[in-house]
Amino acid sequence: MLVPTFLVTGVFVFYPIVNSFIISFFNWNMLSPVKRFVGLQNYWQIFHDPLFLVALRNTLFYAVCYVPVVLALGLIAALALNQRIRGSAGFRTILIVPYVTSIAGSGVIWQWIFEPNGVLNALLRYVGIPPQNWLNDPHWTLFNIIVMGVWQQLGYVSIIYLSGLQAISKEYYEAASVDGARSWHMFRHITWPLLTPSTYFLLILTSINALGIFLQVYVLYGQSAGPNNSAMTLVYYMYMNGFSNYRMGYASAAAYVFFFLVLIITLIQLLYSRRVNYDS
Amino acid sequence: MRKLVSYIVLIILCLFVLGPFIWMLATSVKPSYEIFSTHLQLFPSHWMFSNYVKAWKSAPFGRYFLNSFIVAATQTVFSLFFGSLAAFAFARFRFPGRQLLFVLLLITMMVPGEILLIPNYITIARLHWLSTYQALIVPWLVSVFTIFLMRQYFISLPQELFEAADLDGCSIMRVLFRILLPLTRPIWITAGLISFTASWNGFLWVLVVTNNPNIYTLPVGLINFSTDVGTAYNQLMAATAFSVVPLIILFLLGQRYFIQGIARSGLR
Repeated sequence: MLVPTFLVTGVFVFYPIVNSFIISFFNWNMLSPVKRFVGLQNYWQIFHDPLFLVALRNTLFYAVCYVPVVLALGLIAALALNQRIRGSAGFRTILIVPYVTSIAGSGVIWQWIFEPNGVLNALLRYVGIPPQNWLNDPHWTLFNIIVMGVWQQLGYVSIIYLSGLQAISKEYYEAASVDGARSWHMFRHITWPLLTPSTYFLLILTSINALGIFLQVYVLYGQSAGPNNSAMTLVYYMYMNGFSNYRMGYASAAAYVFFFLVLIITLIQLLYSRRVNYDS
Repeated sequence: MRKLVSYIVLIILCLFVLGPFIWMLATSVKPSYEIFSTHLQLFPSHWMFSNYVKAWKSAPFGRYFLNSFIVAATQTVFSLFFGSLAAFAFARFRFPGRQLLFVLLLITMMVPGEILLIPNYITIARLHWLSTYQALIVPWLVSVFTIFLMRQYFISLPQELFEAADLDGCSIMRVLFRILLPLTRPIWITAGLISFTASWNGFLWVLVVTNNPNIYTLPVGLINFSTDVGTAYNQLMAATAFSVVPLIILFLLGQRYFIQGIARSGLR
């Protein structure tokens, strides 16, 4: 009964993880049959490539900005949805719609919004702000991909938070309101601590997603890495070396650098979450 | 007071979420000379539904739809079948290494898919599967998330149910499809909808392993169209609309199951 499962995951998950690691020590361009063992040279080259450092910086900067924004907005949405107001189910449904929209469709839609003659500039003109060159000005790159990322993931984050909120027993709030606690205090001392598991889950998940950012850039910037490589990310770097330059060994090494980064950040978050849970 | 604030917050967030879709639909029915007009205009002076026909005809969208459907339907059926078998084994049988194998599968959910891209591309190239349906379907026949979702559900069922089935001498397949399936229908629908959506929207893998428009699925076809179409944004938005709307409708029909599935993903 487990044979199909382990056959498919064996060939397309476990084997590639190992294979990729091995290839990362070779110089191989895929077209030639020759694979030359180069040891750690690929890794050495990566860390000395200015473009890689740009990619690393952009990716980390994106993750650090995007994750808090999407968690905060998702939590605010979940708190509002949890008020048992009329139409709450409708709001919840609307928020999740971008999550089921393909990244290709989303990218094309946002590209049109950010167009110099697009709707965003038209709206800004109404309130007297001069139009911006959203997609060609590197200063806006990070903003653009954060807006699109939040738009896509907001519904997901709010649903996870909402199910966390609904799991909190009403008795806590009743006891607190008997004691005369104000709503901010209730949030600070009851809701937020009891939401810790949801927050950690979302923190880890959205961080992994944010570090792997590539497709948003690819579709938004018409298959380029943005003006001045301002949207070059780690996965974009890997993709570019693998599928434009066919440097499979080098790209595999880049993939592993990315993997280790994700692993380290996930482990730090896991360890920290364990410590926090013991404390409380 | 608190309810008023909630309403305001939700209305603002929903406008942010829906705005781009509304603008997509508005653009898709505008005549060419109105798409770039400098003052905001939601409704066109002439409703150009012909943009949809033009867009549909300027690229093989029928073919893309068919490909997306073939790929998504096959993956969904197989991932449910294999997933339910594995979930059943993990939930019901005790065998050496059970815990280890399950943890191994769970770990794969933490591995970012991007690192599998290059080695899997190499595997597909070696199999001479580039630009074939096999390349699009086979690597995704098993969904660990489906296994995880179903196992949790199967564990919650009473043990007596299986014992009764054992006494009757039912085969595993019979137990699975005659007893378990009818009892656990919601989780099958949830897992099925999530696989179907993931597969329908899948982009990166299709992009990498296909270079033949006959094999393109909708997302890759749409991106291809977007580079060909130039500034005919009305046609592009029409194409985007008919690419994304079917799945939004599917989501609206099955939203109860979707939302349960998403909420459960937080329970790992």
